[in-house]
Order: sequence, then structure tokens, then C-alpha cells
Amino acid sequence: MRNIILGLFLPLLLTTPALADMNIVATLPWIGSLAREIGGDQVTVTTLVKPNQDPHFLEAKPSMIIAARKADMIIYNGLDLEIGYLPIVLESARNPKIVPGKPGNFDCSRFVHVIEKPTAVDRSMGDIHPLGNPHYHFSPANVLRVAQGMADVLADLDRTHVDFYRQNFKGFAAKVEAHRKQWESVNLKGKEFVAYHRNFEYLAAEFGFRIVDYIEPKPGIPPSASHIENLIEDMKSDKPIGILVTPGYGLKESESLSARTGAKVVILPQDVGAMPGTDDWFAFMDTVLAALR
Amino acid sequence: MRTRIIAAAVFMAAFMPFSVCRAAEELESRLNQLDAELGSQGEIIREQQKTIEGLRAELTKQKEQETPAQEAATPVTKAGGVSGFFGGSALTNPNISLVLDTFAHTSDLKDDELESRGIPGFTTSGLEQQNGFNLRAAELFIFAPVDPYFNLYVNLPVTEDGIELEEAYAVTTALPEGLQAKGGKFKSNFSRLNAQHPHTWDFYDIALPYRAFLGDEGLGGEKGVQLTWLPAWPVYTQFGAEALQGENDLLFGADAANGPHAFSLFVKASVDTTDNSTLYFGPSVLFGKTKTENIVDGAELDGESALYGLEAVWKWKPQPRQGLTLQGEYLYLDQDGDLTDAETGDVESLCRRQDGFYVQGIYQLNRWRFGARYDALELLADSFKRAGEKENLGETPWRATGSVEFNPSEFTRIRLQYNHDESGRDDRSNDEAILQFLFGIGAHAAHTF
Repeated sequence: MRNIILGLFLPLLLTTPALADMNIVATLPWIGSLAREIGGDQVTVTTLVKPNQDPHFLEAKPSMIIAARKADMIIYNGLDLEIGYLPIVLESARNPKIVPGKPGNFDCSRFVHVIEKPTAVDRSMGDIHPLGNPHYHFSPANVLRVAQGMADVLADLDRTHVDFYRQNFKGFAAKVEAHRKQWESVNLKGKEFVAYHRNFEYLAAEFGFRIVDYIEPKPGIPPSASHIENLIEDMKSDKPIGILVTPGYGLKESESLSARTGAKVVILPQDVGAMPGTDDWFAFMDTVLAALR
Repeated sequence: MRTRIIAAAVFMAAFMPFSVCRAAEELESRLNQLDAELGSQGEIIREQQKTIEGLRAELTKQKEQETPAQEAATPVTKAGGVSGFFGGSALTNPNISLVLDTFAHTSDLKDDELESRGIPGFTTSGLEQQNGFNLRAAELFIFAPVDPYFNLYVNLPVTEDGIELEEAYAVTTALPEGLQAKGGKFKSNFSRLNAQHPHTWDFYDIALPYRAFLGDEGLGGEKGVQLTWLPAWPVYTQFGAEALQGENDLLFGADAANGPHAFSLFVKASVDTTDNSTLYFGPSVLFGKTKTENIVDGAELDGESALYGLEAVWKWKPQPRQGLTLQGEYLYLDQDGDLTDAETGDVESLCRRQDGFYVQGIYQLNRWRFGARYDALELLADSFKRAGEKENLGETPWRATGSVEFNPSEFTRIRLQYNHDESGRDDRSNDEAILQFLFGIGAHAAHTF
């Protein structure tokens, strides 16, 4: 009997990850991608949310808790995007290194110039984000700032590799500049779109296009028939060139609206890995801007 | 010596104007460069400012169009000025939420029949619901960190009878090695439904084995301490132990012994079966001294009990708003003691080996949820021995349930539930329908798995 118990538990103990690495838990795929860029081979990255999962509707899973239990650092989007599962994960993980206030608790949004901060909010407005629009990973300017903050904290937590992280950030910044030329070659200035959800406001702000209407009447509330009729009327006069939508949320509604108005459906990945060929953040941004072309 | 210094000074003085001149030139060109850069950056900032202002204007316009009524009723706080009730910061206020749990009920049994409907051989307590309108509770939750070492949680269900202190406990946040301690009054983590608050149940009522062994709300809040350990293993495995006062009036009883006389041990493990599905399972046991009048009419049991539990949940969520949850639990009771007749004072032995289980499935599609549940007692063990004689208690108690829910948002739940209940063992079934409304406001605590 004792041998059986030992046989069961020994492998568990032996497979604990090597101590040399920084163990990073990232909530979203784009954050995982960024952590790999900055952390290089000095970090092991575990991503909690799968690319095809909508971060708005996720529940805490025990596998998330065990990942956080072993983490040296947890990196998250913030602005309440992870409110449905992150608090319970942090609370249940029993890991003093990653509780709020510690450097191992890294809220990316602290480095972001947040837009759409509502001045007054209550839940009659739908599932609105009271701290502002959280979908800033479409904004190279903001992601660059997050990357810099991340490099600083990594250097602070892992002092033996300070130069390594700084160097990786410089490399990342140079790569962003190189890609930016290609991204900005897509002329979107002044163009008008309709979107299903408020996912793309940072993208619009940074690349100069406008989102004139939303299929969702309020965030998280599916459209009623009358809302769709009004929207079709508006679209007849505004003539937006496309409907922006992610593959997993509102595609059906967008397609039927497209059939009735002639505006083309533009499917954009919601996050890194959500569509083929978006394996890291650069490929993700390349795909987004190519789709808008 | 002196001449050398003078020579050096003269030399320096001669070159000074030249070097200063060069430095000034360099400075000027750099300043010009910076000026140009600043100008172009200013341009960018102005452009961004314009976009932001445009967006802001659009947002306010939209809000005015969307919710004029609420807008007028909501005080506008200055941006960035988070202020509490007494003008303090958010730090001075804990998180507060309130859940209203109310329902309409109809049954083919009359109110007095419901009230006296126990489960022979398990419990003499009847059902609390009445035909017509019912208010279960307005549950108030208050929680916040105390300091860097403790979090505090309080749950106060407000019913028509008054305020109860269902839970009030502190949890450690800074113990090493995956240890966590809890102390105060809390819902035990023995088995699954126990730790859940009624408003998070998948059905209006608790599963039959819980009602039979623990009562309408399970074990309920118990005073005591809990220690759990989550080792840093690849697979989620949590070990826990509790020492409780033992005041549940069906399984234990406040007077059963001096001091804490109920204890529990449990293990919870979980693996992700695929990216979109998770299995969660574990055994647990709850044991202690028993002194209660609620098992047999007109008699008090004084003895010892052990309740063994096995829980398993499988959740599958292929789409953001589509999913299936399958859940089942098995409970087995081992109870021995002396039964004293309240009138005659006669004492005889009571020996129980009884069990119960439930299985349920919930399917979610967008804002709709469909549920089915089957629960029954005496699946494998049905021994109820008085004075060594096994009693025939009648038909096996069972119940079947179906439900449809519409959840307009995360914060409202409208549930229609139908029960066919054969747990009374008296050839009278309880066919009941419940239309339940749940509303939640305030700070929204994340749900556990």
C-alpha cells in the first residue's frame, strides 16, 4: 500500500518545474505573447485563457488556481476585464508573491492611456466596463508602454538578468517600429465601420478610422429586432464600409446584418491565436490590419 | 612651480571662449532639434486629444440617448474622485452586495401538509415553502481585506423573521506553502452543495440527500476553524480539515457534547479533460457526536454519526455562452446511538446505515439554462434498526426535477421549476411548481468553480 501511495505522489513532486526560470502566469494570450518577447528563455509562461475563449464570460477553474499557486508573477489585462475569475484565482492560490500590492501582481493597464472612461455608470447600462475600455491590446502605442513596464518589473524581480530583459525590450521596441510602417501603410483615415462589441476603439483611435454604430445596444446585451431595424436605417444613410466582429462573439448577427445592408463583414481575431496565423502579437496585429485593408 | 600654474591658467583662458563657443553652437542645434521634435509630438498629442474628445462627446451623446431616466437619478461623480459615504476613500468601505431571493409556489398539497412533510426514517422537519408568494431572503454580503494578512467575509440573510448571521469568518492570505486557515462561522467544505449559498444553487431547493441528512440548507454556517493545503503539484489537489461546534440540529446538535464535537476531512482534485472541459471530484467525511429530536417523532437520539460524501462535477464550455454541467454526489450515513422516548423515557438502540444520491445536468445556451435532476435515498443502504430490528419504512423516497431559466443579465435570474416529489413515503406525491426571481446588486464576487 505504501509503495502505491509513494508511486502516485513521487512523480508529482519530481515534475515541479526547474527553479532557474521565472514562472509567469498570463491571463490572456496576447499578454502571454508579450511576456515571452520580454522574458525570453528566462521565463516559463502559462496562459490561463485560451485564444478561442471570450474573457468576458470565463469562470475560475481549479487549473488556473494551481497555475497561480506556483507563479512568481501574474500578469493581467486589468480594467475589470478579468473580474469574473481573477479575484477568486488570486484569493484561492495562497501565493503571497502575487497578491495585489506585490511586484509579482502586474496589472498591464497601469501603463495604458485608457479611453472611454465613463463618468457615471450603473448596471442599467449593461455590462459596461466602469474603468474604461479594456481592449487596448489592439494599440501598438499602449502595448509598447506595457512591454516597457513589464521589462522593468522582470528586471526588478530577477536581478541576475537585468540587462537581458532591458535588451529584449529594446529589441521589441525596434520590432514594433519596423512593423508600424507596414501597419500604417493601410490607409484607414476617416473610414467608417459598424462593430458588434466595443472591442476595437483603441484600434480606431490609433489608426484614424471611426466606429459609427454598434450591433449590441448595450455591452453584453444582445440586439432586439427593433434595434436591428433602426441600425439598418442608420446604416443606409451612414454607409459604413464594414462590420467589425470577432469569430466567437456576434458573428451570426453580423452576417445577417451584412446580408441586409451590403456592408461587408470584417472578421478580426479577438486575441493572439484566435485565428490561423496569429501565433504572436505581431502576427496578430498583421492579421488585424490586413483584414481592414 | 608658480609659473607653470600661471602658464596653464593662461592657456586655459585662451581656449575657454573657443570651447564655450562650440558648446553653445552644439547646444543651439540640439535645442532646435528638440524644438522640432516637440512640435511634431505636440501635433500628435493634439491629434490624439481631438480623437479622445470626439470619442468622449460621442459617448455622452450615446448615453443621453440610451438612458435618460437613469442618468438623471445617478449622481455624477467627478472623474477620479472616488469617495465613500462619509467622504472617505474606497479603502474605508468594504464591498457590499445584496441578493434578493423571492418566489411563487404552487403545490397540490395544502400548506399544513407541506409543513408536516418530513422523510420518515431521516427527518421530521417539513417543507418551508407555502402556496403563493414567498420571500426566502435578501442576502447581504460584506467582504474586504482586513490587512495584508486577513480577508473578512460576512453573510447576513435578512428574512421576514429578522437578520441571521449565517457566516462571518476571516481567512489568512499570507501563510506559506499553500496553507490557508479560516476561522469564525462559515459553511463547511464537506461535499459540494454545503458551501454554496442558496442563490447559487442550480435549482430552487437543495438535493434530497442533503435535506435528509443535514436539513434544508445543508450543514449551514457552523462556528469553528478550517485548515486547507494546496500543494504546488501539477494537478490541483486540495486537502482540508475542520473542527466545528456541531450545532446542526439534524446531524449533530448543540447539546451533544461540550465544546467542538463535529469534524470534517476532505480532498478536492481537478483536471482539465480538454481545453474547454474540466472535471472536479473528491471524497469527504463529516463526523461527530449527535443529540437530536428531529430524526424520530417524539424521541431523542444520543449517539455518534459519520457522513461520507463523494462529489463529481464535469463542466464543458465550448462557446462563451454555451455549456453543459453534469454533477452528482453520493452521501452515506453511519449512525449509532440511544433513542429515548420523550413520554415514557424508554431507551432503545438506533443503528442507521442509509445513503442517498443525486445526479443533475444543466445545459446553457445564451441567456437560457435548462436543468434536470434526479435524487433518491436508500440506493445501496437502507438499514434503519430500532432495538436491533430492521424497520420497514415504506417506499424508497425519490424526486425528479426539471427547470428552465431565463437570465436577462448576469445579475438577474428567472427560474421556473417543477418537482415531482415522492419522498413522503405516504402514497401522496408533492407535485409543485416554483417561479423564482433572483436579483443581485452591488459588488459582484467571482464565483468559485
